[in-house]
Amino acid sequence: METFNVTKEKKKKNRIKRVATEQNSAILSIGRVKKVAIQLMMILAVVIYVLPFYWMMLKMFRTSIFAHFPPNLNPLSGTSLSNFVQNLGSVWSFGSFPRWYFNSIFVTLIVLFSSVFVGSIAGYAFARLNFRGREMIFYTVLGTLMIPFPVVSVASYVFMLNIGWLSTYQGIIIPEIASALNVFLFRQYFLTIPKEVEEAAKLDGLNPFQIFTKISAPMAKPAFAASFIYTFIGSWNNFLWPLMVIHSKSLYTLPLVLNFFKGVNGIQIYWNEMMTVVFLTLLPTLIIYAIFERYFVEGISFTGLKG
Amino acid sequence: MLSTGRQNKKTVKLNDGMESRYGYILIAPLLLLIVVFIFFPAFYSFAISLFYYNPFGHQIHFAGISNYAEVLHSSLFAISVLNVMYYTAVVVTLQTILAFSLAMLFNYRFRITRMSRALVFVPAITSPVALSIIFIWVFSRQGMVNYFLSMFGVQPINFFFSTTFAFPAIMAMNIFSTAPYFMVMYLAGLQAIPPHILEAASLDGIRSGWKRFRYIYAPMLSFTTFLVVVLGVIGSMQLFDQVFVITGGGPANSTYVPLIYIYNRAFLYFGTLGVSSAASFILFAVIMAVTLLQRRYLKELRWA
Repeated sequence: METFNVTKEKKKKNRIKRVATEQNSAILSIGRVKKVAIQLMMILAVVIYVLPFYWMMLKMFRTSIFAHFPPNLNPLSGTSLSNFVQNLGSVWSFGSFPRWYFNSIFVTLIVLFSSVFVGSIAGYAFARLNFRGREMIFYTVLGTLMIPFPVVSVASYVFMLNIGWLSTYQGIIIPEIASALNVFLFRQYFLTIPKEVEEAAKLDGLNPFQIFTKISAPMAKPAFAASFIYTFIGSWNNFLWPLMVIHSKSLYTLPLVLNFFKGVNGIQIYWNEMMTVVFLTLLPTLIIYAIFERYFVEGISFTGLKG
Repeated sequence: MLSTGRQNKKTVKLNDGMESRYGYILIAPLLLLIVVFIFFPAFYSFAISLFYYNPFGHQIHFAGISNYAEVLHSSLFAISVLNVMYYTAVVVTLQTILAFSLAMLFNYRFRITRMSRALVFVPAITSPVALSIIFIWVFSRQGMVNYFLSMFGVQPINFFFSTTFAFPAIMAMNIFSTAPYFMVMYLAGLQAIPPHILEAASLDGIRSGWKRFRYIYAPMLSFTTFLVVVLGVIGSMQLFDQVFVITGGGPANSTYVPLIYIYNRAFLYFGTLGVSSAASFILFAVIMAVTLLQRRYLKELRWA
C-alpha cells in the first residue's frame, strides 16, 4: 500500500513536470519571487470568488435572520449543527418544499435524458449517415442557435395556453428538449471517431441504429458527459420559461421557489433560511460538478472553440 | 430508384437505401421538436405582433404595424434599449478582459492551479437566481462590498436601491460570474499555442509580458476573443433573470431592459401580447443583425 502510494505520487510529480516543460515553457523562465507572487494571486482570486459562497454556508449554521454589519466571517462564532438542522426543518416544512424539490429533479431528469437521446441520435445521423439534404438540414438546425429562446418565449407561452399545457409538466418539459447545441456537440464528436471501426459492424449486418448503440455511443463517453452536464445546468437553472408557463404554486421548480421565498416576508429576507434554500438549490449542481469537473472544461473548449 | 446514377458510382455501398432511411428516422424526433417548439413559435410570434390579441377574452383583430409603432414610440422601450446597450458595452468589455487575465493567471501550472481554477468556476454554473440572491446580500448595506468600502471610510451605500448604483452592481455581479466561463475558452486557446512559438519568440527578444501579449497572445487568440465577444453580446442582450429577481427593472427604471419590457407587456398588462411580440421581434432582429455583422467580421479575420 505504502509503495503503491509512493509510486503514484512519483508518477503524478513526473506528469506535472512533463506537462510543465511541454506546454508551458514560460514557467521555467520565471524566478522564485514571481512564482510565489503568481500563486498568491491565484489564492486571492479564489478567496474573492469563494467569499460570497462561504458567507452563505456560514449563514445556514446561524440562527439570526438578519445580515449583520460587519459581516461575521468567523466560522466558529454563532454556528452550530443544531442551528442548521433547525433551518433545514423550517425550510423543508415551508409551503410544499419537498414537492418543489421533486418537481425540479423530475423536470430536469426528463429533459436531460430526452435531450441527450434526441441530440445524440441526430448528431450521429448528421455525422455518419448519408441522406438527401443532410447538410442543409444540419445548418438549419444549427441556425436555431441564433434564435434566442427568450425571444420566442412569449409566442411559446401563447401556444401552450392554446393547447392547454399551461401549468403542466409537459408544458415545462417538452419545449426545453430540442437543443441544437447538443446536436452540434455530438456531431463534432462522432466525426472524430475513425470510420473504419464502424465498417466491420456494417459488414456484420448491423443496422445504423444498432451500430450507434453498440459501437459508436460507447466510444463517445466524453461527448455524453459534456452534454449531460450542460443540459443539466441549463434545465436545473432555467427560470424564465417556468416563470411564464407555471401559474400554479404546486408545480414550482427551485429557481421559482427561490424568487418566491425571497419576497415571502416582505422586504426583510430571512437570511439564514434563505441561504439554506440557496444551498439546497446549489447542492445537486455542486455534486455533479465535483464528479464531472473535467468534462465541464472539455465541453466548453469543444463546443466553444469549434463553433 | 431515384438515383440510379449514384448507385452506379457507389457500388461499394450496398445498403444506401437503409442508411438514408435510418438517417431520416434518427433526425425525426429532433426535427419535430424544432419545428413545433422553435420555428412555429418564431412565426407565431410574428403573426401575433400584427394583431391585437387577448387570449383570455378571446378578442382578436388585425392591428397592422401599430404594435410596432407603439413599441418604437414607447419611451420605456427606448430606455430599456439604451440600458441594455450600456450594459452590453460595459459587461462585454470588462468580462473579456477579466476572462483573459484569469486565463493568463491559471495557465501557470502549480499544485494549486487545478483546484483554484475549479473553485473560481463555481459561479459560472450557479443558478442565476441563486446567485442574484447571494448578491443581494453582497451589495446590501450589511454586505461584503460595504464592509470593504468602510475600511476606506466610505459611508454604506444601499446599492440596489440607488438609481446610480443598482445597474453597475448588477453589471459587476455578471462580470464576476460569467468571466470564469470565458476564462476556460481562453485557457483552451492558450494551450493551443505551440510552445515552440514562445521559445522562438523569446530568442527573437520577445520576452517581456507586454511584448508577448502584443505579438503572440493577441494575434493568436483573436479567434477566441471574437467568439467570447459574440457570445457575450448575445448573452448580454438577453439579460433577464438577475434584473427580474433583484430590482424588477427599478429603481426608477434604471435597470429596465428589453426582456423585462417584453415580460411585463405579456404578463402584467392584459391585451398587450401583440405589443410584447412586436418588441421581441425587434429585439430578435437586433440580435440577428449584431450576430451576422460579427460573423462577417469574424470570417474576414479568420482568413486574414
